[in-house]
Amino acid sequence: MKLHLHNGIRYFIKAVVLTCNIILFTAVVTAGTPAIPVTPGKVTSTQQQAIDYVEKIRHLKPSPHWPNIKPALFLKNLKTNIHDIASIYPGKGTNFCGYGALTYLFLQDDPLGYATLLLQLYGEGKATFRSITFDPPPAIKLEAGELKYKGLLDINPAEQMWYLTLADHYKGYLNIFNHQYDDGDENRFWASVNYAKFNRMTRELLHYNSKAKGADLMRPKMASLYNYISEKMKTGTVVLFINNRIVHKKDHIRLKLGVPTHFIVAEKISIENDVITFMYWDYGRKTQLQVSTDFFKRIVFGITWFTKKEANAE
Amino acid sequence: MLNKKNYILVVSLFTGLLFSCSPKNISTKYYYENEKVLDRIEESYKALYPLGPFNVGFTDRDFKTVSLEIITDTLSYIYEFGIEEPRLRDTLIAYDLNAAKINTLIKQMHDIRCTWITYSDYYVDEKKETMILMSIKPVALKSLFSYAKYYVLTYFPQPQYFDSEGRLLDKRKLRRLRKINGEVFKRINNKVCYSITGHFR
Repeated sequence: MKLHLHNGIRYFIKAVVLTCNIILFTAVVTAGTPAIPVTPGKVTSTQQQAIDYVEKIRHLKPSPHWPNIKPALFLKNLKTNIHDIASIYPGKGTNFCGYGALTYLFLQDDPLGYATLLLQLYGEGKATFRSITFDPPPAIKLEAGELKYKGLLDINPAEQMWYLTLADHYKGYLNIFNHQYDDGDENRFWASVNYAKFNRMTRELLHYNSKAKGADLMRPKMASLYNYISEKMKTGTVVLFINNRIVHKKDHIRLKLGVPTHFIVAEKISIENDVITFMYWDYGRKTQLQVSTDFFKRIVFGITWFTKKEANAE
Repeated sequence: MLNKKNYILVVSLFTGLLFSCSPKNISTKYYYENEKVLDRIEESYKALYPLGPFNVGFTDRDFKTVSLEIITDTLSYIYEFGIEEPRLRDTLIAYDLNAAKINTLIKQMHDIRCTWITYSDYYVDEKKETMILMSIKPVALKSLFSYAKYYVLTYFPQPQYFDSEGRLLDKRKLRRLRKINGEVFKRINNKVCYSITGHFR
């Protein structure tokens, strides 16, 4: 009883802190941060280039920087990511979904960049990519390779290293009260990604132009959400920031905090008789669901549209 | 004002009320009281799953809305139906699943207030293992001020390791507790464990 009472109080405090943060910071973060200028038309890599690069590597030495990463597993994970982009798996119960969506886009746009960045990070303990230097602290280096009970992520040390490094490097207002990594923080606010942080990460790391609509607390206002998303999908890649507590119910609590919690990459969308059939990528595979237009409106809080730098961006 | 005798009576009554429906009380008895039904559901799901992978459960409090996830090699499909809706049967048939048996399973789940049944994977020495995870929302599992209210059972295919307090351990490092969806599980028998959690999946 005591334990459950304690959990209830903790849950309540968490909800209050989260709500206060969102109310305090939403207006500030939705203004966004300026995009990093990139040379227009810069060519990024192909999947074949990345395959040629990683397949030449037969053997990796253990890295003194990442003592708990097994080299063979690291290499296998990296190769799987390159060969099968959809295999990216941010782990069960973690707050890594934003980093997963970012990586899914990264692998579509610049798989060779992804491979070289991860190999540099593994070999040297730090890495620089597009003028961003990742230099994770010792706590992260000790934890990578040790994450457990996260499903497939348990045996994917390259992804563990990458998500932990991203979570350590990029901070948003949700991370204010938990800045330093402690055991289990991958499931807590330390790893959380708010909408502005996600957009900032993608602008800094990806060779895309991006345009974001929506916010952490306010749904995007438009005449037809379906028309907007389907139009944008014709010319680019669309990531949605959704309230997954409604889509992927985990409890029967009636009064739910109406906030988005999950990033998904839109793959296909169609409409018939006011029912939207929507296919998306998250957690290592593609999913299709059918929802009413009203329900769809309720769950979508952010729409980020990515186009290649050299083409069709507004 | 309450005298000492009345005070003790009131406190005892209040404590009794709280603990008579406490998760701890439920967890020790629940499985054995419902063992046959629970095991039947597990066996039925285990037999049906290889014919076409799926997860099923109820997403509403009244157990009227069935959530069905059909898993194919390339895609997962998520559907929601009313329990009596003909679309449910039509969909199962469309995916070449055994509609009659899955409907029976759903009815059994409904009757015992089973909220979700799924296969879940975990890794031991880098090797993938699977288990069945089943959550139930018993009527009595509603303690005051508590948000944790699901009784979750795990059915492992092989015997597991436990510490002296009966907590599920990681096989490799016998002292490390194995967590499933962030929860510590306790022994019912060598292959079945339980936990009381705030989430049904």
